[in-house]
Amino acid sequence: MVLPIYKTKHDEEFLNIIELDDVWKIYKMGEVEVPALKGLSLKVAPGEFLALMGPSGSGKSTAINMIGCLDIPTKGRVLLAGQDIATLTELELSRIRGKKIGFVFQSHNLYPTLTALENVQLPMRVHEFREAEIWNRSEELLQLVGLSDRANHYPSQLSGGQSQRVAIARALSTNPLLLLADEPTGNLDTEAGKEVLDIFTQLNEQGVTVVMITHDEKIGGRANKIVRMIDGTLAS
Amino acid sequence: MRLLDIFLLSLSHVKKSRMRSWLTIVGVIIGVASVVAIISIGQGMQENVQQRLGGFGADIITVIPGYFRATGAHSEMHTDRSVSTSSSINLTDKDIKVIKQVPGVMYVNGIVSGKADLKYDNEKTVVSVTGVDTSIWRLMDNTGIDDGRYLQAGDSNSIVVGYNLAHGTFLQSITLNRPITIGGKNFRVVGILKQSGGFGGSSDTGIYMPAEMAREVITEKVANNQFTSIVIKASDASLVEYLKADIDQKLMSSRQVNPRTKDFTVIASALIREQMSSVTQTLSLFLSAIATVSLLVGAIGIANTMFMSVMERTKQIGLLKAIGAGEREIMKLFLIESGIFGLVGGIIGVIFGAAISLLIPYLGIQALGFGGDMKATITAETIFFALGFSVVIGILSGIIPARHAAKMRPVDAIRYDQ
Ligand SMILES: Nc1ncnc2c1ncn2[C@@H]1O[C@H](COP(=O)(O)OP(=O)(O)OP(=O)(O)O)[C@@H](O)[C@H]1O
Ligand SMILES: [Mg+2]
Repeated sequence: MVLPIYKTKHDEEFLNIIELDDVWKIYKMGEVEVPALKGLSLKVAPGEFLALMGPSGSGKSTAINMIGCLDIPTKGRVLLAGQDIATLTELELSRIRGKKIGFVFQSHNLYPTLTALENVQLPMRVHEFREAEIWNRSEELLQLVGLSDRANHYPSQLSGGQSQRVAIARALSTNPLLLLADEPTGNLDTEAGKEVLDIFTQLNEQGVTVVMITHDEKIGGRANKIVRMIDGTLAS
Repeated sequence: MRLLDIFLLSLSHVKKSRMRSWLTIVGVIIGVASVVAIISIGQGMQENVQQRLGGFGADIITVIPGYFRATGAHSEMHTDRSVSTSSSINLTDKDIKVIKQVPGVMYVNGIVSGKADLKYDNEKTVVSVTGVDTSIWRLMDNTGIDDGRYLQAGDSNSIVVGYNLAHGTFLQSITLNRPITIGGKNFRVVGILKQSGGFGGSSDTGIYMPAEMAREVITEKVANNQFTSIVIKASDASLVEYLKADIDQKLMSSRQVNPRTKDFTVIASALIREQMSSVTQTLSLFLSAIATVSLLVGAIGIANTMFMSVMERTKQIGLLKAIGAGEREIMKLFLIESGIFGLVGGIIGVIFGAAISLLIPYLGIQALGFGGDMKATITAETIFFALGFSVVIGILSGIIPARHAAKMRPVDAIRYDQ
């Protein structure tokens, strides 16, 4: 598998793609305060394959939402490509996030009213890529994940593994700095899970930075860096 | 995100839940169709009234004998021309002179009208005859001459015939110079009027002749200096209301009557027409209000569907935000969706409404009170109004759901629970 159109080099000069600096996230449930993150500090450097592991409820999803700038910390700083996201407006943050970060979630990844191909095109349409590029890239990316023959299928007509592969193709469409995946194989059987992981591994070998949450030690073994969390902070 | 792409995404929502989309649209169709039909029928009704009263110019005032007086529980109609005795025909030369002196009066025409026996080509019938002042009638008539000429000073045994009487009443059409016997006297046709289609219809089915001749041929007895009515043309239509009051006053004093003993009536047809219009206007306004309620029900249907759509798409909204869509784009996405419901419902509704309106004349419903056929008039304005209105309603009813969607935070929207 090769990524001919995919460049990992970006013009920006920075040490870390993402940097969490003493991040706290406290959920308020009426009177009760639930701290999900308690002063988490973390760096993701370009080219890394980082596995985020830990017991259920330890705050992994909350952490990856911070890394992906989907959520704003109660306290602490999140730097995306060296820039403090607190200084950005909603829209700016949304645009930068969409452009520089690709997401693959555990499920409900695909837009159900769009075909596989249209799903891959969606981020490029949001970011107003040129029409020719939209079509070229989306077809190449579907080919990359081995689903050219499923281009016109709707998500309901795809298997779980195929859906996740379409989601990866889509996450790559805007040529992001970082690929985030929250238990991307959580809903898949061993065989389909392995196929999806292979794709992540190969992408990383070609220079794509990956942050992935997993419960599986074997999967964690593929990463070149494992970060373990317990109770909202690092389990050093 | 480009508007076209947002539009296509909206369209994919609509297409995906086809059944629900159609049910929503049906709600709009019913509302729009009833609005269009009701407005068209209302306009048709207005036009009917205008047309039927249109024979009378806006600047014409008529004086007739008798006075309708309502006194407490009693009300008496002093006279009705068709059953009047000759003694109640009480308008005279003197009244005409008085009216001529009222400032603002341009022409005054003393009319002697009634029924007369007519014989033409061995066929017999009874016609209504209008005797006019030959030198003035031509100046006041607004029907127009179809063939020949108007009556003129010096005419005595000449007549002008209404269009429908000339064409279609007798086996052989009446043409110029044909001899006709009326009330036992011989006349020659010098002109044929255009078709007026007006209310009262006498100009289409009647005969016009000099007033002096009319006195001799009609079955009613009208003395030499008497008239059955006096028709006045104002120098300007805007003076009509004022003139009506002035003539009323002047005649009362010259005839030495007071409001209690008054024995004549001054009518301004323009004022009647206004009253009629305002009645039909009120009626169509009332009907429109009912139609608007059904349109509102359609709007609630859209809002309901949009809320369901937003709830259902929580995850997709989160996804769109995660890949970079902003609040405005999410807003537009859902507003276009609800706008599509409004537009499609509007287009189909207009078609249905127009179809209903076009069918109305064939249903043969009698127009309220006028005895004619009911008709509906569809105007471009009505269509654009209905379309615009339904799109606006579609968008308005989508605003709250769309805002709700736009304000969702990506994390909350993406939460992994099913
Ligand atoms: N929206 C929320 N409101 C309140 N509490 C929350 C919310 N989201 C997460 N939490 C709490 O924060 C803590 C961390 O949750 P998080 O989803 O990050 O865990 P996780 O490590 O991803 O667990 P899992 O492996 O089961 O997915 C949990 O105790 C959870 O109950
Ligand atoms: Mg989790």
